[in-house]
Amino acid sequence: MANSRKVIEFFYDVVSPYSWLGFEVLCRYRNVWNVDVKLRPAFLAGVMQGSGNKPPGLTPNKFLYMAKDLHRLSQYFQVPLNVPSNPFEAMFEKGTLSAMRFVTALQESEVGGDKQVEQVSRELWTRIWSLDKDISQPGSVSEAAVKAGLSASDVEELLKLSTSKQIKDKLKSATQEALDHGGFGFPLLVCHVNGKAEVFFGSDRFELIAHCIGKSTLTLLGVNLYRNAHFGCTRIVTNDPLY
Amino acid sequence: MANSRKVIEFFYDVVSPYSWLGFEVLCRYRNVWNVDVKLRPAFLAGVMQGSGNKPPGLTPNKFLYMAKDLHRLSQYFQVPLNVPSNPFEAMFEKGTLSAMRFVTALQESEVGGDKQVEQVSRELWTRIWSLDKDISQPGSVSEAAVKAGLSASDVEELLKLSTSKQIKDKLKSATQEALDHGGFGFPLLVCHVNGKAEVFFGSDRFELIAHCIGEKWVGPQPTAAKL
Repeated sequence: MANSRKVIEFFYDVVSPYSWLGFEVLCRYRNVWNVDVKLRPAFLAGVMQGSGNKPPGLTPNKFLYMAKDLHRLSQYFQVPLNVPSNPFEAMFEKGTLSAMRFVTALQESEVGGDKQVEQVSRELWTRIWSLDKDISQPGSVSEAAVKAGLSASDVEELLKLSTSKQIKDKLKSATQEALDHGGFGFPLLVCHVNGKAEVFFGSDRFELIAHCIGKSTLTLLGVNLYRNAHFGCTRIVTNDPLY
Repeated sequence: MANSRKVIEFFYDVVSPYSWLGFEVLCRYRNVWNVDVKLRPAFLAGVMQGSGNKPPGLTPNKFLYMAKDLHRLSQYFQVPLNVPSNPFEAMFEKGTLSAMRFVTALQESEVGGDKQVEQVSRELWTRIWSLDKDISQPGSVSEAAVKAGLSASDVEELLKLSTSKQIKDKLKSATQEALDHGGFGFPLLVCHVNGKAEVFFGSDRFELIAHCIGEKWVGPQPTAAKL
């Protein structure tokens, strides 16, 4: 059974709102599709720097568009996303380095799955991208982790582990892996199908991802059902006179 | 009947491959959805400049990703897209100013619909983004227009009209409209629903657009979909 499950690696950073959308969709689909989701916490600022890219929000029209786009997607995806009151401070001045080191430390420590990594990531996203709260201070990260179900003593240990060279290197290494896959932003989804790695950027490629891994796709609210073309099919029969 | 149809304005430039994907999808859906599609030829380089944005292909990893993304989307959308042998020359050095002025001139002249604008746009996209051919020279644009069904004399008139102040201004004006909608790239879709304009960027928002205008998205091949 394990051999037939396709693996989808999900590279993300809680600074990224589109990553939250992709994250929630993937979490919903992990029990619907025959896939093994591997959460890959990484550092978006590192990917931006390594690829020579710059955050979209720095272009004024893009920033304004993203605010509207995220609002519509929030409703459609049913993820309670709200743009923070000072997004530039939250995303760029404060940043998410210590938060992602914490998630990395948690992943290193968690045994038997990634439920805690999933829950803590969700709580961190909720703080910054729903409740307009800080996630840069140890106290903030601690609150999120406790809300996700970790004990106070576990949290204290993880905060300490977060500042170790081992964990700093692990986060750097995940970030480098995203770059090695050709990444320039998040979310980055790496789907392993038939020994080949198909890389997808963004939370708006699920229809194509489903097609590539040979699945049916429901719309994100589960209202409409349609079947995708066959996986690996060369031509789709169509009445379209152009083709 | 006219009042109940929702209007979707489609701002595009044939330099943009993602715009070709969005264009073909919209053309397939214009008889499936209860919508009035208004083709809005405009100038992408002008939108980039006006918004302080830069073409994605200038970031190396983005360029490499786009080539793979377009290849997959080409198959999935069933649009015969191929990256040109020298994309930077085609997109940036040569550009599409005269091509888009020609399309604008055609739109100004065409009566009774936009079939010719649709066909000529398609032929121009096919040249640059499928057949790796030039579209910067009058002869190239002429070939595309003739292939789309225009007469040689019509083409000659349009080539002349393309260089007029009137048409240059019309293209500038469409480009400014895209910027006024907050545009920073193409394709830009402006959906008019209940007197409100909802702006969408990209060819990957059709599912959301369908939801916003109260229609159903069944994938890029609506006539082949089984419901």
